Order: sequence, then structure tokens, then C-alpha cells
Amino acid sequence: MEVVPASVGEACRRWDDERLHLQSAADGIGAAPTDGFTGEVAGTAGRFTAAWTRLAGDLGQDCGRRADGLRTALAEAVAADEDAAATLAPYLREVR
Amino acid sequence: MTTVLLPAPPAEIPPLDADPEAVRQCGSDLLVASAQVDDLGTFAAGPARLGDWDGDAAAAYHEGIRPTGRRADAASLALRGVAQRVDAHADELESLLERRVGLADWRLHLARHVADLRERVASATADEAAALRTEADALRGEVTSFAGDLARWVEDVGAEEQAMVLAFTRVLTFEQVEAAYGGVADPADAALATRPPAGASPARVHAWWLGLTAAERAAITAAAPEAVGGLDGVPARDRDAANRVSLARDLAQLGAYAEAGDLTRDEERLLRNARAAQEAVDRIEDGVDPVTGEPVVAQVYLYQPGAFGGDGAVAVAAGDLDTADNTAVVVPGFGTDGASAPYQGDRAVRLHEAARSLDPSETNATLFLIGYDAPDNLPPDGLDAAGVVTEQLATAGGERIADALDGLRALRPDDPTHLTAIGHSYGSTTLGHAASDHGVPVDELVVVGSPGLGGEVDSVDDLGVDPEHVWAGANSRDPIAHLADDGWLGLGTLDGAGLGSDPVEDDFDANRFAAEDPSRGPGPDLDQHSLYFDHDTESLHNIASIVNGDHGDVRPADHVHDPWHGLPEDPEDDRDPTSPDTLVGR
Repeated sequence: MEVVPASVGEACRRWDDERLHLQSAADGIGAAPTDGFTGEVAGTAGRFTAAWTRLAGDLGQDCGRRADGLRTALAEAVAADEDAAATLAPYLREVR
Repeated sequence: MTTVLLPAPPAEIPPLDADPEAVRQCGSDLLVASAQVDDLGTFAAGPARLGDWDGDAAAAYHEGIRPTGRRADAASLALRGVAQRVDAHADELESLLERRVGLADWRLHLARHVADLRERVASATADEAAALRTEADALRGEVTSFAGDLARWVEDVGAEEQAMVLAFTRVLTFEQVEAAYGGVADPADAALATRPPAGASPARVHAWWLGLTAAERAAITAAAPEAVGGLDGVPARDRDAANRVSLARDLAQLGAYAEAGDLTRDEERLLRNARAAQEAVDRIEDGVDPVTGEPVVAQVYLYQPGAFGGDGAVAVAAGDLDTADNTAVVVPGFGTDGASAPYQGDRAVRLHEAARSLDPSETNATLFLIGYDAPDNLPPDGLDAAGVVTEQLATAGGERIADALDGLRALRPDDPTHLTAIGHSYGSTTLGHAASDHGVPVDELVVVGSPGLGGEVDSVDDLGVDPEHVWAGANSRDPIAHLADDGWLGLGTLDGAGLGSDPVEDDFDANRFAAEDPSRGPGPDLDQHSLYFDHDTESLHNIASIVNGDHGDVRPADHVHDPWHGLPEDPEDDRDPTSPDTLVGR
């Protein structure tokens, strides 16, 4: 059986953090004001911020998938190894 | 009838409905987001790679995060590029709007001239015809010249709009981002690799920074703001740009944690300090320059919310540190930490207002510097025996303050500012250590409400600053100032339990200035310790005059005298305090 070290749990939490960071980045892009541009530019600026809100959100979801993947590995390790459970079980909970 | 060919009226100027400040805000928001995306790339390439995990699952994981990191790196570069283009667009819009104002003035002048000429032609005699034709020809030339400038302006507006639209549209999808930036090295990385080592002099850092290209500096600001936001020798405007990226990113990310309902204790303190720093910036920018009527410029000179075990380090200037004729640095004392930033920001604005108001001919920058680990406890909540009444924190802080002053001095080797360091309360003890232990490159050294400048400082001669330029103010009712040693016996620090000699005593020989307040009562009152930077006080008037180098405007006060046969005598005890106007014309 493959050994799953505690660093996997730490990385899992970091990926969760990155998901939040990218979501806040997406929110920031979405909130960026576009009404200061001239009429010739404002529409394109709005399309840009809308597109990048999605792009940043997609990157955030990617981070979430990485965290979920690591949680799966952690869960399997916890289920298979009682000794590992004590160390790894706390990481199974999605903190944020 | 007289025949004169009149020029056509000048053409109307098309409107330019734009708000450069809002555009700049848009650019700032995009830049902060790019920094967050950049952090993901850094994480994916570094800490996310787990060297102690082997096997098939580990291999699949590491294979899977590679494209995530690559996408993040490319996306951050793309977003940064657009953000910087938006910022440049704001500059260009400002320029175009200024040019439009000039054109509008010119057009109005021409239109009036044409109308006036038309009236004069209508009533002219034959004898006047030749002169009027000459005038009309000249005016026609001016109108033609105006039309040329107007056409160029219209063309420039269109070109700028097209360039901005192109910058937006060339990276609207991941495919476009990948095509433009996939695998492209971040210019910040190569530039940071040339950074002088830790401990390098501010002058060397200054030379390094100015040797980078504008693109490299901008890249570092976005990708690694913490690398230069607190780096002495980097110009204040660039530190400000970097620190604002860090601050906005912290507010966004920690705010997201808070919304998710799970902040660790450390994160709570970070968020507290970040919000306090932003509040200080807002309060300074809410200030109004008493000379120009314009909002006060704020510069975030230092932003390290996790410094000193979470107490935080922050410094924000009211005014432009890169250009000001006179620069004041206020080192605060008891009870100061990152959360104190708004309070210190208010003080900085008041000193800035007073200095500007008292000498409108010169420019000023006033920096509050929460840049050392100050004692936490403030009387009457309690004196931190380990921290306040001994010098340990001041000794350690003195080195930091000396370094910070060296850094400020190095900013302008060819255009030195008139630099004043002001220590208030325990900040004066720290400033005293900075001066006596390390030397400080200041033109004026000021202490107010001082409990002493350290056990090794018995007089101005121990500070390494021209004694003519050492100043001390103490409200006679300020109990903190009474902590200083007035002992005729010269007890100094009482074996570590005090903070040194009284800087307003005659033996110390500093220039004592008046610092009484009309609100004082008959006895010691801790509130008097916090009034030195209030408007319409003797203290603020005198400090501002020193900051401006206007020594003749400083109202002196007689020194405390400590006779061998009795208690110290303060001539200020029974003088009637005054209330000089420190904000003229409000």
C-alpha cells in the first residue's frame, strides 16, 4: 500500500485556500469599474471583465478539484490504515 | 459695401466622456487579481509539489497540477499586461482631457474673434476694408491651425480607444491567453534574481531599482510586491504601488476567509492590520491640502501586517516622499501596533496640514512610521514592566528606525529633502537609540512627551546630531514626560527601570519649545500626553515650524531645572498656555 504523508493534507488545505483566492480574484475582476471608459471602450471592457471573472473562477474550480482529489487519496489512506488515520483524518474536513 | 472673406467659425470639439480615476481603479483591481493568479502559479510550481509522496497517485497528482500552474502563469501575465495597459490608458485619457480643455479655450477665443470681425465688417467703411481683409486672412490661418490640432486630437482619441479595445480583446479566452503567454518567462523572475543581497545599502538598492526597465519594475510590483514594498532604497511611489497590491490582495483574500467563517487567530490579526492600514490611507486621502484645496496624496511606504509577532508594521505618508521639500517622520510610542494606523494617520494629516498652512511656499510629506515593536500597554491600562520602563524594545527598534531614515535619505541623493525625525513618547526613546547607537541622517531631531532618550543619552552631545537642531517639547502636566530622569543625583535609568535623562532639562541642552495646552488642569493628566499633534496647540505649531526649517517661528520655553536642594522646577508650570492657529484660513 502506498504511504500518504501529512504533507498531502497540508497541500489539500492550501488548494482549498487557493480556490478561495481565485474566487476572490474573480470577484475583484467582476467588481472592477468599467464606467470610466469612453463609450467606444466601455462595452469591450465589460466583456473583458465578464470573461475574466469566468476564467479566474474556472482556475478556482480547478484548485477545488485538486483539493478534492487529495481528499480522496487521504480518505482511502485513512480507511486502509488505522495508524495513518490519526494523522490524516483531520485533513478530511474541508475547512473552507 | 465692404467685401471681406470671413473665416468659418471653428468646428465643434467632440465630447470625451471618460473618468481617468475610475479607469485607474479598474486597472488597479485587475492588477491585484493578476497578483492572486500569479500566487497560484507560484504555489503550483513550488509548495504544491510534494517530495515525500511517491506512487501512482502521487504521480497522477503531480502530472495533473502541471497544466494548472502553466495556465495560472500565463493568465497572470495576460491579466497583468491588460492591467498595466489600462493604467496607461488612464494616463492617456488625462492627457487627452487636458488637451481638450486647451482646444476648448482656443476655440472660444477664435469663435469670439470671428463673431467680432463679422460685426465690424458689417459696419465698416471702404477705407477700413484693407485692414479688415488682412485681419481676416490671419484669423483664417488660425482657424485652419486650430482645425489641424483638433483633427490630430480626434485621431489620437480614436487611436487610443482602438489600442485599449485591442488590449482587451486579444486575451478574452484561455486559448488566446495560452497562445500569447504560454511558456513565457515572467520578467519579474529575472529582475528579482539581480536584486542586491539582504543587508545591502539603500543606495545600492536604489541604483539597482533605477537600473531595471519600466517593464521589469512593473512586473515585480505585480508579481512580488512584498519583495520591494519594504525595501529601503526603492522610491516611495514604487513602494506605494507594491504595498497597495499587497494590501488589496490581503483585504480580498482574508475577507474571503472571513466570509467563509473560518479565520485562524493569526489571520484575524492580519485582517485587522490590513483594515487598519486601509483606514489610515483613506483618512489621509480624505484630508485636504490647505494650500491647493486638493486631496492629500497618501503613500503606503511600509506594509507588513504580520511583522513583530502579528503586531504589524505599517507606514503611510501624507504627501509625496519622492519630491517634498520637507519630510517629517513620526515615530510613535506606547501602545502602538498595526491597529493604531488610523490614529497615526490622523496625526500625520494634522502635522501635514499645519506645515503646509504655516509655509505654503514649500511642499511637505509627513510619514507615520509604525516600524518597530513598541510596548503594547498604555497607562492607565497598565505599564508593561518588561517593555515600557526598560529600553529593550527601544534598543531593538532603534536599529530599525535608523535603517528606515537611511532609506529615506537614500531616495534622493541629488535632491535631498529637509528631513525631520520626531519621536513621541516611547518613540522618542527609540529615536534616541537610533541616533546614539547607529546615527541618523536627519536635519532636525524632535522629541515630545519623552520619558527619556535612553540611558546612554545624557545630553544633546550624545545624539550625533548638530545640537542646534535637537528639539524637545514637554507639556508640564504630561505624566509620561515625568518618567524621564530629572535627578540631580543623575540616577539615569535606575538600573534599568527608567528611560534616561529628561530632554527638557537644562543639563540636556536641547532647544525646548513651548508645548502647553489650554485644556490642562492643575496636576498630571494622561490626556495631555496625547495632545502634541492636535491643531491649534503650541506643540503642533512649533513642530510644524521645525519641520519647515522656520526656526525663527518656534516659540521657545525655559528648561526644567533640578536644584540640588529640592524637586525639579518647570517654569512652564505656571505660564498661561496659548492656542496658535495651525490651520490658517480654515
